Amino acid sequence: MKARCKGFSAHLNRRQAASGRKLRLLSIIALLTMAPVAAQLPLPELSHELTRLSEPIDAPAFQLKDMDGEQYALEDYRGKVVMLNFWATWCPPCRREIPSMEALHQTFKGQAFAILAINEWETEDHVFAFMGQLPVEPTFPILFDPDSEVAQSFGVKGLPTTLLVDRQGKIVYRAVGGRDFNHPEVQEIIRALLPEARGQKK
Amino acid sequence: MKKTLLPLFLCAYSIASAGDVQRHQDPETGLITWKIQEPGLSLQFIQLMPDYVTAIYSARGLPPSLVKTMASYCVFGTIIKNESDAQLSYRVADWRYVTADGKANPIKTKSEWVKEWRDQGVSFRWSILPDDQTFEPGDWSQGFTTIPLPPESLINLKYTWRHQGEDHEGTLQGLQCAPEQAPGS
Repeated sequence: MKARCKGFSAHLNRRQAASGRKLRLLSIIALLTMAPVAAQLPLPELSHELTRLSEPIDAPAFQLKDMDGEQYALEDYRGKVVMLNFWATWCPPCRREIPSMEALHQTFKGQAFAILAINEWETEDHVFAFMGQLPVEPTFPILFDPDSEVAQSFGVKGLPTTLLVDRQGKIVYRAVGGRDFNHPEVQEIIRALLPEARGQKK
Repeated sequence: MKKTLLPLFLCAYSIASAGDVQRHQDPETGLITWKIQEPGLSLQFIQLMPDYVTAIYSARGLPPSLVKTMASYCVFGTIIKNESDAQLSYRVADWRYVTADGKANPIKTKSEWVKEWRDQGVSFRWSILPDDQTFEPGDWSQGFTTIPLPPESLINLKYTWRHQGEDHEGTLQGLQCAPEQAPGS
């Protein structure tokens, strides 16, 4: 498996060599898009429930690119527990749960756990501008599903939707709507999926 | 006589009404949010102005003609949440908006919108409240509900959901479309 060191920081360094004017414009667009939504939609509190699927389902294979055009394939993560998060910048609960996702990512850093945030329909430029407005800098991969075909293959109806895929590539947990992912109960669910990973070495 | 009877009819029809309803007006924008609490279910409808709808869809890159179409609708931000400890489902196709003439009209679904967008070469498939969802405990969703009426139109909204094997229905009286511009502007 390729080492996945790319994140927003690395992408930011490259982007800072590009036109600063374009970045400022995109940031303004991102703010304008976010502000009216935040003012108009009083959102439920973020709970932490994940639903265990009664029958695990094979996760559909996919290959998606990140901001730098690097390809990510779900099959490359076989042997790891993967959290797939389908999101978009215009989706307020999607934005709200990003800090908890980053915290969860840090909690399990170095273990057989990965988060892949799959952006729906938006452009790299738009997402990049948005990322600059966040209170935390995501260090997990942000992938692009420009035609929402991957979301459709997973049966995603609304955003955000989050799925936990086990080491065998099966979807075992699901959450529809924003969550606080760094909650102890979520951590416990992930830990319970990990011991198999630790017990079997490649 | 008819003009007097119609509002009375509308009120009578809506007596099978919503659970606990809270109506909140934003002090800055003047826009209104209705929050309905039913056993196991919460629903919110938030007025969205045409300018906001225009901004949302323009930012998504929809062609001007489609943006104009979207902004011509009465649009509510809608949040639906399963607050029970059992499965809960809904289907927008079963919902109705009731106009002053007493007519119960179906609401345009996300699938219908997506098809309309696709027919015009647009592959965007988000923003509208999903056609139907089955929520596990804690699940919730948000999206737009669109009604083909002008600003400030007044309707009753009939909504349904299924919970613990039973179908339920409620009616939100006096749901009003957002004004063309923010009150006081």
